[in-house]
Amino acid sequence: MVLLVDTSTESGSDAVFRSMFAARKRVFIDLLKWDLPVLAGQYEVDAFDNAHARYLILTDTDHNHLASARLLPTVRPHILGDIFPTLCAGPPPRAPGIWEITRFCLDRSLRAGERRALRNWLVTAIAEHALRSGIRRYTGVAEMGWLQQILSFGWHCRPLGLPLPHGRGTLGALEIDITPETPALLEAGGVWSPIPLQETPARRAACA
Amino acid sequence: MAGFDIASGFVRLARHVQDVGDLVEAISTTCASMHIQYFALSHHVDFRREGNSAIRIHNYPPSWERWFDDHALGRLDPIHRASHLANTGFAWTNLPLMMRLTPEDQVVLDHAHRIGIGEGYTVPANVPGEMLGSCSFAVEPGRTFPEDLQLACEVIGAFAFEAARRLTQARAMSFTQVPILTDRQRDCVLWAARGKTDWEIAVILGISHETVIQHLKHARERYGVQKRAMLAVRALFDGAISFSDILKR
Repeated sequence: MVLLVDTSTESGSDAVFRSMFAARKRVFIDLLKWDLPVLAGQYEVDAFDNAHARYLILTDTDHNHLASARLLPTVRPHILGDIFPTLCAGPPPRAPGIWEITRFCLDRSLRAGERRALRNWLVTAIAEHALRSGIRRYTGVAEMGWLQQILSFGWHCRPLGLPLPHGRGTLGALEIDITPETPALLEAGGVWSPIPLQETPARRAACA
Repeated sequence: MAGFDIASGFVRLARHVQDVGDLVEAISTTCASMHIQYFALSHHVDFRREGNSAIRIHNYPPSWERWFDDHALGRLDPIHRASHLANTGFAWTNLPLMMRLTPEDQVVLDHAHRIGIGEGYTVPANVPGEMLGSCSFAVEPGRTFPEDLQLACEVIGAFAFEAARRLTQARAMSFTQVPILTDRQRDCVLWAARGKTDWEIAVILGISHETVIQHLKHARERYGVQKRAMLAVRALFDGAISFSDILKR
């Protein structure tokens, strides 16, 4: 069973956050070799992990991290606007209804079959979060291989500028429209997969 | 920023294409505006065997496709193979730096040159669990591939490949044709892929030798393959096991 923590509507427990930051260190630093700060030798936490960030975290019933994403408001400092603005042909998008998806993270301990299921749950949760909270567009920076996978989900994407070489790969910037049509587009892409309502903690609390 | 305007224009067109003909038109028009003569968007498969579900659209000279298929180059073409090594687009002039070209590879490249395909740029297009693919752009022999447009090609290739997936059966087949292994079968396949014998797998998993043999037999049946190596390849291909599963200590 999978639980979803949405920190915009509930406060995640310390255990969940610790588990997520440790998982991010294993993925982004140990596996992908990104040049990021490490806290206490085991957590990946940066300047954007602050009170303005929202997190969508999928965990098992013991609150161990399975997958997560960080959402940053584009009206405040964020990755595209403040670190990679050159990936945009024009000014980086900044508006209250536009948020940036960052640190899309699937736990390294997941087996290949589980990864796909978790990825689909997380993408769906990201789209549902936008529809529920009035976000109409996401932006994001992605390495080109991952960018191709983001396109394959089926939602409407546009490039924000030409990609640029970065490290050993090439980075590109995208914007993703979220509209009432998005669930159907993700469905056609084989990705739409809402977590059953009764499995989320908020619903269980409401039923208790 | 001409390159980005061209790429954006293509992305707008690609969103609304209704069939493969529209897509060919959109890519051709976009390439023409960059003075790039040729494009080829393709899955890397043997088209004589798997042509129905795989994508291939291009405007190469007509004789190319026939020659290509007669030589079963879908999986062997040096450009396709190089794109499996790349995580980003590459100029064909860099091919010798990326891999060792065999005499057969040289024959393929020479033939392309002879029928009018010169320098080019290829964008790998891989979606996990699906057939590998790429999108190539090329100019006539004697012309230099416009370097300032390589990054625009990177964007056009990515969006063109996704448009082609949407218009063909490529998406549907990846989800419907994947056999499901039981957890135990998968564990056995994983250890087999790591090079363990049935007896060793039995010791590692703490189950009987006979049980391991049965699990692997059933797993082979689900994939419709005869050999252990092919079983590992198929399980890797559809994501039942991953390279990191196999290689991690």
